[in-house]
Amino acid sequence: MWTFIIRRLIQSVIVIIGVTLITFTALQMSGDPTYLYVSERATEAEIQRTREALGFDKPLPEQYLNFLGNLVQGDFGNSLSYKRPAIESVMEALPATLELTLFAMFLAIVVAIPLGVVASLNRGSAVDGSIMTMGMLGQSIPSFWLGIMMIMFFGLQLRILPISGHVPFIMPLIQGDFLRAFTNLPQTLYYLIMPGFAVAFYSISRNARLVRSSMLEVLGQDFVRTARSKGISERAVVIRHALRNAWLPVVTMIGLEFGFLIGGVVVVEMVFSWPGIGRLVFNAINQRDIPVVQAAVVTLALVFIALNLIVDLVYAKIDPRVKL
Amino acid sequence: MKTLYHFALAAALGAALSTTALAAPPDDTVVVGLSADASTFDPAQISSRDNSNIAKHIFATLFKVNFAGEVEPYLVEDTTVSEDGLAYTFKIKDGLTCDDGEALTAEDVAYSFNRASDPANAFTGNTPGFVYTTLGFKSAEVVDDLNVQINLSAKTTLALGMMAQVFIHCKDSYEKMSLEEAAANPIGSGSYRLASWDRGSQIVLEKVKEPGTFDTIIWRIIPEASTRTAELIAGNVDIITNVAPDQVSAIDASGSATVAKVSGTRRMQIGFNLGEGVAGMPGAAEIQDPKVRWALQYAVDVPSICSQLLGTECTRMTSLVNPPNDNPDLKPVPYDPDMAEQLLDEAGYPRGENGVRFSIRLQGPRGRYLNDANVVQAIGQYLTDVGVETEVELLEWASVYSPLLRTKEMGPLFFLGQGGVTWNPLYDMSLFSTPDAPTNYQSWTDPRWFDDWKLALEADTVEEARPVINRMLQLFYEEGPWLQLYFQPDFYGVSDRIEWTPRRDEEIELFAATLKQ
Repeated sequence: MWTFIIRRLIQSVIVIIGVTLITFTALQMSGDPTYLYVSERATEAEIQRTREALGFDKPLPEQYLNFLGNLVQGDFGNSLSYKRPAIESVMEALPATLELTLFAMFLAIVVAIPLGVVASLNRGSAVDGSIMTMGMLGQSIPSFWLGIMMIMFFGLQLRILPISGHVPFIMPLIQGDFLRAFTNLPQTLYYLIMPGFAVAFYSISRNARLVRSSMLEVLGQDFVRTARSKGISERAVVIRHALRNAWLPVVTMIGLEFGFLIGGVVVVEMVFSWPGIGRLVFNAINQRDIPVVQAAVVTLALVFIALNLIVDLVYAKIDPRVKL
Repeated sequence: MKTLYHFALAAALGAALSTTALAAPPDDTVVVGLSADASTFDPAQISSRDNSNIAKHIFATLFKVNFAGEVEPYLVEDTTVSEDGLAYTFKIKDGLTCDDGEALTAEDVAYSFNRASDPANAFTGNTPGFVYTTLGFKSAEVVDDLNVQINLSAKTTLALGMMAQVFIHCKDSYEKMSLEEAAANPIGSGSYRLASWDRGSQIVLEKVKEPGTFDTIIWRIIPEASTRTAELIAGNVDIITNVAPDQVSAIDASGSATVAKVSGTRRMQIGFNLGEGVAGMPGAAEIQDPKVRWALQYAVDVPSICSQLLGTECTRMTSLVNPPNDNPDLKPVPYDPDMAEQLLDEAGYPRGENGVRFSIRLQGPRGRYLNDANVVQAIGQYLTDVGVETEVELLEWASVYSPLLRTKEMGPLFFLGQGGVTWNPLYDMSLFSTPDAPTNYQSWTDPRWFDDWKLALEADTVEEARPVINRMLQLFYEEGPWLQLYFQPDFYGVSDRIEWTPRRDEEIELFAATLKQ
């Protein structure tokens, strides 16, 4: 196992270099960002001064190598917009995105699994049809449209859910203010309902269908027939025997889920004014705030690598056939 | 039974949460929905309009531009100008303080001005950039406790209006802070102080002194326009900016808010690029002829563009100067495609066998101005209809369009909106201060304009310069490098809870906002 972990850590270094190189190249291809940081009436001399102050006058390879050199020391540079360490902006926004993503993952699991199981147990029925139709809709509907529709219905028409905003939970937890964190928790969850569901709906739909097909495959196996013939209750057959084996592809999907959800939160964070990393990166890209984009990309890559590692370890634990 | 109990408990919890989360703001609070967060509260680093709107409630200034567009003293009690117009001596009011209790004296005023221009600080905000460049700021020096002298490099009637943009703060307070601390912990001289800043979420200001009606101002960051509208209609926000035309009717019909429309000071134009940046491109030679530029003025139906695409009537432009400072003798060019065709024929550009007089490219941004993409496409079609075959190109603002503007390589026709003011025509005209001025995107070099510009600057007052100004505006109207369109209308959503009137210059001031009785 340790060999596996060390091998993955080495691979992660290569991943980080690749990710930063691609991000750096993409941002540089969009042109000189200096013009965004000078006034409309700036003279050529002022523009050049600003270009030098921001380091954009250096050759691109030198800029990238300087960035890598600082990166190994944990220095991502200062945000061009906020004039503060870029990593601070990212760390401030990350907890909000984690709240949204973890809540969406929670929904994607606890809603999808029962739906998939119910559908598989009622194969061919109206229940199965309804769930599969919902599944198809969920994988077709864009999250931003769903978000706006939920705002209109639950926020404006029914006035039962907040339209936008955020109450922090993870950040006060990190800061050690446990009282504030747990006092905030009900409000945090309340504000999370709509954006969380908007992010999770696609995953719920896909996971429900995945669980259904996985369950159908397992329910047809001999050991399930044997369990039933022994007189074991249907509930025990489904949960203790069938689901336990149908679970494996779902675990794999959960590991990939985080990366997928992170990609989907940008739009939802904009719609619901959620102050997360997706919105931060979106604004940073618009402003060509390269240090913030790089810091966010590296941070998310590290989180993704860590989660994938955990998923692989869990997978090996629950499936004895898998060797690391 | 147990299920019913759990359901009742959940419903009660939901009701409790909704009561707190969905409640309208309290009577002593006004809430504004903005599209972007502040990036800094260092007074010398602020550059965006939204950021500045918040900061002007925290920091006072020597002068203010009032609602009627006139510059009036604020911290200043008396002004003396030297004979040569290069030194302004201000006596500030006695008894002024900063938010931390420090006395605000002439030394602090001088410090505020000099700090912004100190090269060691490397500020890139509005004050050291645009303001000081236009002002010709050299230095500020203390005369005595209440008197400060601001030294300029050239005489200008723009002085007081530009100084109205410099935020005043206390030297003792700021010398104790690093630049990073100053960015997040402003210590102002204005009516409000920064109580909290949840980055990306909201900024809360609390009143510390007059003027100001509300004890608390909350600026909520809501980037998505439809979400801002929803929050306004739901009564959670009192004022929103940048309402899209397609949302106006929904807000007006909501019964909880209305849209306040105001003719802004942003001058929307089609620029004719007359410079080397587009030399050789199709149409570039043709637009060098003032007769062609004049002919094209008739080709565009500006009133229809405004009513159909912007959802309102617009104030038409006759020059680059905002009313009421424009030339009253000039009238907007009417839409008359027959006249356009006749003038183009007379200019020597008849229709060819394929019906085309000449071809040209029109570039415009997407998502920068109100319905810009549709406006640009409409204008392209109007020009094509009179025989000027127009290829429309819509470009992303930040990375493509803006650099092209800076290097003066866009066009030959390009759509642009440039902010203006109501307090001095020379400010609006200063876009063309020199043939190679950074804002002379059109590379217009007509010597008559620039000779008159020098004369206008020499005048001691705007009134004295008025004959020269009117002559310049006449020239601009007939032969200038703009196809005059409209002053961009601004739409503000205002809840029925409060009484507030928006300004024309995109500044948001809440000092006089009140609850409706």
